[in-house]
Amino acid sequence: MAKIQGTAWVAKTYVMSFDMIIQRFWTAPIDPVENSKWVMAGVDEAFNRENGFVDQGYTFIVAGHNFAGGGKSIEHCVTGLMGAGIKAVFATSFARLQFRNAINYGLPFVTCRDMNLHCATGDVLEYDPETGIIQNLSNGQTFQSLPQEPFVSEVAEAGGLLEFVKRKIADGTVAELR
Amino acid sequence: MGMTITEKIMAQNSGRDRVVPGQLVWTDVHTVMTMDYLGKQTFNKLHDLGVTDVFDKDRVICVSDHLVPPPTEQFATMLNQWREAVREHDITHFYDLGRQGIAHQIMVEQGHVLPGKISIGTDSHANTYGAVGAVGNAVGVTDAAVAMATGKAWFRVPESVKFVIKGEWQPWVMAKDLSLYIMGMMHWNGHLIYKSLELEGPAISALDMAGRMTLCNMTVDLGAKNGIIAPDEITAAYLAPVAKGSWSPLASDPDAHYDAIYEVDVTNVGPTLAMPDKLDDIVPVEKVVGRKFNKAFVGTCTNGRVEDFAMMAKILKGKQVHRSVNMLAVPASQTVYLESLKLGYIQTLIEAGVAIDTPSCAACAGIHTGVAGDGDVVLSAGNRNMKGRMGSKNAQIFLTSPAVVAVSAITGEITDPRTFSL
Ligand code: SF4
Repeated sequence: MAKIQGTAWVAKTYVMSFDMIIQRFWTAPIDPVENSKWVMAGVDEAFNRENGFVDQGYTFIVAGHNFAGGGKSIEHCVTGLMGAGIKAVFATSFARLQFRNAINYGLPFVTCRDMNLHCATGDVLEYDPETGIIQNLSNGQTFQSLPQEPFVSEVAEAGGLLEFVKRKIADGTVAELR
Repeated sequence: MGMTITEKIMAQNSGRDRVVPGQLVWTDVHTVMTMDYLGKQTFNKLHDLGVTDVFDKDRVICVSDHLVPPPTEQFATMLNQWREAVREHDITHFYDLGRQGIAHQIMVEQGHVLPGKISIGTDSHANTYGAVGAVGNAVGVTDAAVAMATGKAWFRVPESVKFVIKGEWQPWVMAKDLSLYIMGMMHWNGHLIYKSLELEGPAISALDMAGRMTLCNMTVDLGAKNGIIAPDEITAAYLAPVAKGSWSPLASDPDAHYDAIYEVDVTNVGPTLAMPDKLDDIVPVEKVVGRKFNKAFVGTCTNGRVEDFAMMAKILKGKQVHRSVNMLAVPASQTVYLESLKLGYIQTLIEAGVAIDTPSCAACAGIHTGVAGDGDVVLSAGNRNMKGRMGSKNAQIFLTSPAVVAVSAITGEITDPRTFSL
């Protein structure tokens, strides 16, 4: 996997899933482009307009504890971020529901402690998924994130969990999953 | 080294002798729940997988709860599409309007979750299933569809933390108070995020199944992956008439590893309340007595059970809800409704001036019956209080126990039940 470079949005406080996708979109069809239009609308007033977040052109999100917390299972949070061009999220900890949704859709949710304290919105970062190393090119700091599990890469390579399982069903190996 | 109960369940259901925290495993899933709000999307995903038959039509449980009876034309249409999908897949257990209830209540009260097994659902409060010693987890529609197709789901084995709850429950103090108390102790600062939260100790053994459900239910709001209480005689007695399947007892090993062990003496836990907007802003009720509110709400998967109706009826018997307060109580299921009716609780509440609504999530998610408008101050026994949760962003939601809601509804201001004479 090639290195990814781009600018980051750094969360100042908890980012909750019900703010990432506000209630009137909870039942919307799952579609990255559609879901991206209002993604993060409740997180920051600046994003609370159509394409408010997309238009910023961020590639990464950097956050503290409990990213996408609040226990909502809606997948639109993850597809919305993907539609908005986000290629990875770095946080001290993630809420489990969106952590699984992210893995299921192949968007890296990368656990990396306290990066939010050493990055500012607009900083240019470079992420190497293979080594887990993240460099802040704007201030010269380097961070080591947890390396990615093989299963997570396999799912991402397949294009998501549905495709991954579909292949296992097709080749008769689904029963071997353990 | 031994294993925690959650590790054991994950090992047993993935055909392993042991698992360790952090490991990713595929496990067998005992039941998969989906409900009206996301059910149609789940079946769509199943279709995307190219699968027409679910893995076991007795173990895919479908429930109407968020949208029944439908409040809008749009939701009525959604419900019709949902019913169509359920029928098409010939699902055995479909709890639609008339047999409805909040999905998590149905899953436990109808015996669809069993100790030692893993059940998942497309709604956050699937953590409730830990009350019977199951691993209960919420998933998105993709995971639910995969499980419906294959009977399997992947999990990251969580680290475990243990809460040992000792001491004596004080009068008027309910399991909800302990949940909020723990929330106030832990906050969302990472100590519980993604962990398995195990509850044990004499004060847990003394708790009925309703209280255990409240505690496990709210572990998701604490940020935990699952909440779990090992099965005992109370669990066995509860499950005996309803269990859909067999189960065997299990518990954590004495030498299991915990990231942390916390002790709470419940003797020191009094009526507790979460301030509006932030669930971890917890105060003892005595700090806010006298605050006025205009709406009282008891129901939800957290506090809509017979025991909660019993508590309200005990307080409101022969009393009247204050004229400045609208009080709404919603049983968590038809079974709860009927039982509360037979026991006379419903009559007592109606005589006191409480409105009763048909079982559903009701105002909890701001979808129907009793949504909050601008300027409303709601005293709720639900589980979430963020801005806009019950409707208007300009409403305030205090969260507390059914006992505090009922006592306060009489006086028209937040009241400590311990200072109130029956
Ligand atoms: S009662 Fe509230 S928290 Fe429980 S499932 Fe329904 S909407 Fe969710």
